[in-house]
Amino acid sequence: MDMAAKFQDQLVFHMTGRRAGEGLAPVDAEAMRPALFAGYRDLTRLRHDFPLVLIETGKADGFAASLSLLVNRVLEALAPRGIEGERLRKHVLRLEREVRAMLGSGRAGTLSELWEEAAAKLGSGPDESVAKVLALAGASLNLDGELADCDERLPERFMVHAWRHVQAQKAALFHGHLDHLKRKLSDILRAAFVHSEAGQQPAALKAAVGGMHAEDFDFSAMSRLVGRNVPLDELPASRRARIERVLGVLRSQRFHAPKLGGASAAYGFLFDNVAGAVAAYRERLPEAVELVKAIAIAELEARNGYDEADHDPFFEAYGEGSLSADDLALLPDYLVCIPADRNDAPENAGLMDTLSSGLPVKVVVQVTDLLEEASLGTGHFAFGVRSARLATTAMGLGGMFVLQAAASSLYRLRNRVEGGMGCRGPALFSIFAGSPAAAGSLPRYLTAAAAMESRAFPAFVYDAAAGDNWATRFSLEHNRDPETDWPVEPFEYADAGLQRVREEVAFTYADFAMCDRRNAEHFAVAPRERWTAAMVPAAQWLALAERDAAERVPYLLAVDANDVLHRVVIDARMMQATRRCLLLWHRLQEHGGIHDSHAERLLARERAAWEAKKAEEIEALRKSAGSVAQPANEGAPAPVAAAPAAPAEAAAAEEVKPPSDDPWIETARCPSCNECQLINPQMFGYNDNKQAFIKDVNAGTYRQLVEAAEACQVAIIHPGKPKNPAEPGLDELMKRAEAFN
Amino acid sequence: MTMATPLSQCIIKLHEERHDLEDYQGGVPRWCSGCGDNAILAAVQRLCRDENLAPERTVFVSGIGCSSRFPHYMKTYGFHGIHGRAFPIAQGVKMARPDLHVFVNTGDGDCCSIGAAHWIHAIRYNMNLTVILHDNHVYGLTKKQASPTSPVGLKSNTTPRGSVLEALNPLTVTLGVQNVSFVAQAVDWIPELMYDIVSKAFHHRGFSFIRVIQRCPEFLPKMFEPWLHDPAKTLLLTHESGLQPSADLGRIYRNQRAHDPLDIHKAREIASEEDPIPVGILYRNPEVPCYEDLRGAGKPRTVEAVRKGLDAEFDKFTIWPGEQGQSRAA
Repeated sequence: MDMAAKFQDQLVFHMTGRRAGEGLAPVDAEAMRPALFAGYRDLTRLRHDFPLVLIETGKADGFAASLSLLVNRVLEALAPRGIEGERLRKHVLRLEREVRAMLGSGRAGTLSELWEEAAAKLGSGPDESVAKVLALAGASLNLDGELADCDERLPERFMVHAWRHVQAQKAALFHGHLDHLKRKLSDILRAAFVHSEAGQQPAALKAAVGGMHAEDFDFSAMSRLVGRNVPLDELPASRRARIERVLGVLRSQRFHAPKLGGASAAYGFLFDNVAGAVAAYRERLPEAVELVKAIAIAELEARNGYDEADHDPFFEAYGEGSLSADDLALLPDYLVCIPADRNDAPENAGLMDTLSSGLPVKVVVQVTDLLEEASLGTGHFAFGVRSARLATTAMGLGGMFVLQAAASSLYRLRNRVEGGMGCRGPALFSIFAGSPAAAGSLPRYLTAAAAMESRAFPAFVYDAAAGDNWATRFSLEHNRDPETDWPVEPFEYADAGLQRVREEVAFTYADFAMCDRRNAEHFAVAPRERWTAAMVPAAQWLALAERDAAERVPYLLAVDANDVLHRVVIDARMMQATRRCLLLWHRLQEHGGIHDSHAERLLARERAAWEAKKAEEIEALRKSAGSVAQPANEGAPAPVAAAPAAPAEAAAAEEVKPPSDDPWIETARCPSCNECQLINPQMFGYNDNKQAFIKDVNAGTYRQLVEAAEACQVAIIHPGKPKNPAEPGLDELMKRAEAFN
Repeated sequence: MTMATPLSQCIIKLHEERHDLEDYQGGVPRWCSGCGDNAILAAVQRLCRDENLAPERTVFVSGIGCSSRFPHYMKTYGFHGIHGRAFPIAQGVKMARPDLHVFVNTGDGDCCSIGAAHWIHAIRYNMNLTVILHDNHVYGLTKKQASPTSPVGLKSNTTPRGSVLEALNPLTVTLGVQNVSFVAQAVDWIPELMYDIVSKAFHHRGFSFIRVIQRCPEFLPKMFEPWLHDPAKTLLLTHESGLQPSADLGRIYRNQRAHDPLDIHKAREIASEEDPIPVGILYRNPEVPCYEDLRGAGKPRTVEAVRKGLDAEFDKFTIWPGEQGQSRAA
């Protein structure tokens, strides 16, 4: 078959999406996967971030840890280096694989439960020491928690756990502070009681001494004695009422669950729809205002700083409108975890309004299907836009925290998740949980990771509180190779002659789309004998000029169930979607300061200006080199240079102040040395900066003015002319004053 | 301080105390009339007012000499120390209480003669202190004796035939010591610049050393006359991160030079010039680490910290509210 015919089939498929003739085979979506996935057949044998241990609150620093990481720590601590530790390492790693397999088969439970179970299974062989070794390793884990694999429930479990972790820290701080305040207020009341008449009654004194020595005292006598000697110090009624009211509010608060039991009385803050959370927030608002007020009053009372005249009107006027995000930060945040199938439900319609209103609500939106049927069906090919739209739109609202990520990278982003849960104000987390079962048999961990790597669902964080510009607020750093169009991986395979071939392979949007069986029609497998030079990898094809692209066909590398490498031709509609995905990615890159078009334009302009300037300079140099032989003009520029100096001199002359005949002081130059003050403190005064001025010229004589001028170390006193012509010795004084006027 | 919610912090701030210049005035200065120390006192009091420094959180430490009477005239905490030992005392205060604003006032004898060893090491330690060297070139308190900074030929009670040694230059010495982080020179007769320099020194985190050239009207009345009366003999060092003199002052003192305070080589060059007198920030490097940070001075022993510690101890024996203790009280 000639080259042209081979290529013709592929071109027809690319243009129309129809396989004509026998040259191209359909893609078997169950068996075929992107070539870069060849190494990820069995995830249970692969040590990766999952499963995670959702650490029980208060047991360790973080709230989640990867099982592999924990196992590594155990091995580092227990297994000696070299061959002695090898046995332990082997057994524990087998156990890790076993736990992974158990989770994969649908088993659930805590780390300790599954560890025990797996240890029992592996230890049941003839070698008894295995069970012992594994139990020992299990005991040194030192933490426990539910195990979570990267499945459809992961986003919710992970985010709710992170939220609980943050709220528990917040509650601990809150309770510590509240207990301190309650104690301080109780102390005030207690002290008042001790000093009151009631407190000095025999019964009260007896109670104060306690049971052991109660018989040793005559409390009636003690009461008389105490009553006589201690001045009564009554707490003002208004203060007592205020303290008691505040104590009441602090004791009955229902926002943070009490430390010791009674959690049922506290409010719940976990919701599955936006409307419910908003309604609860509104309902509790008056109570929240009272609590915030009570805490502020208690703080002022505790430092004895409550001033009724100043503070009463302030707190009276303090209402729902006065509550700020900082005040609300004391109370728990609301968490709305919207189930994947309820994203479009009417009760969540107000999501954007809620976020933009600044309520302290954290919303988790789960995206399960980036390649929805609806957008395919209409022929309007716009994959991913709907789901990705939410987080990018929320960023535009400004003062909030937005995180978008695939479930597979949640663990790596755990610090940012924790930061978002702990931020003041609203936060939105948009999480892609991996493609649904309808899409194919690939594990969710892989499809989630593929979505992120292929830029179909890039990870980004926007944290309004991190700074005042985009560069500090927005981050794309959690994506692979954020500065390139597609991430590129080295890929090695054996060719037909069993020789090693190494290629750099880009992972594009089309690779991700191929993982979904519903897209099978957009791909066709080209048999090896039909490979032609006109076939171009998809990433390169996108970079071609339009005319060149029309003569070539894009393909991607895929492997089948037997790990045989194929080239898969992609049709034009899929390439259009890939191009669109790339455009959206470019927009995000610009936000992240990568290939910023404004900056690049500015740079180009500056460079052009610089080059032009340099060219001029070179030209000028060349000319002057040519004119060295003619020194005739040398004197000419001098008058031009001298001309601008004249106005400056004029300005200098203006500054010397020749006022009337009144005396004056150059106050700004006064070094505060007291000389003039010593002569006449009524006549000379100091201003706010302790520099002298003439306070009252009539408060002294002209002689004193002249003497002050003479005494002044920095000669800034100008005596002017005498006011009183009758003052004796004026002629001589005026002569002395001349030097200073 | 115990934790406070934003609301009560805001209320407390609303009613926070503000201070006037007079609030910082201690006793009436006993310096001779016309003494340059008065100008330094005025500039420092202005700084305290403008920065609203709480008098109970501000300390002035001094050694011995005319200049070292400074703490008496500030209504803040003060420590009139022993001769030459102002630096170690101030360092001790700062180490124990890094939350305080610590100033050191020292003279040319106190700093450059008896206290020279402490001076050198205080520069190297680079602790966050604001240091003012009152340099009047003479021992005034002991009635006119030559000091290390007295010029050659100065006739005094100890050098009746005129001093024979070259004067020591405190600026070049300071700039020659490792870890130097801030060096400036002011003259007492330009109050605006004096204030600006003191303010810049205060805001620098580290050992901020200001040498103030200061007149002694009693014993060296004529010494600075030429500089006082000829603005061209003063060189203003200007820079966007240094001094920016006002337009009025700029018209009088036209002899100006742009100098980047990060350039230590230029700074050393300028420091060795004596006529015209350079005035401004010679060197400032905020990156030099402070000793208290390197050592990790631990928790400051502030009143609040002590109270908090005591509270925590008492709490161990507290009957918690809501339990039986409270019901008895009511």
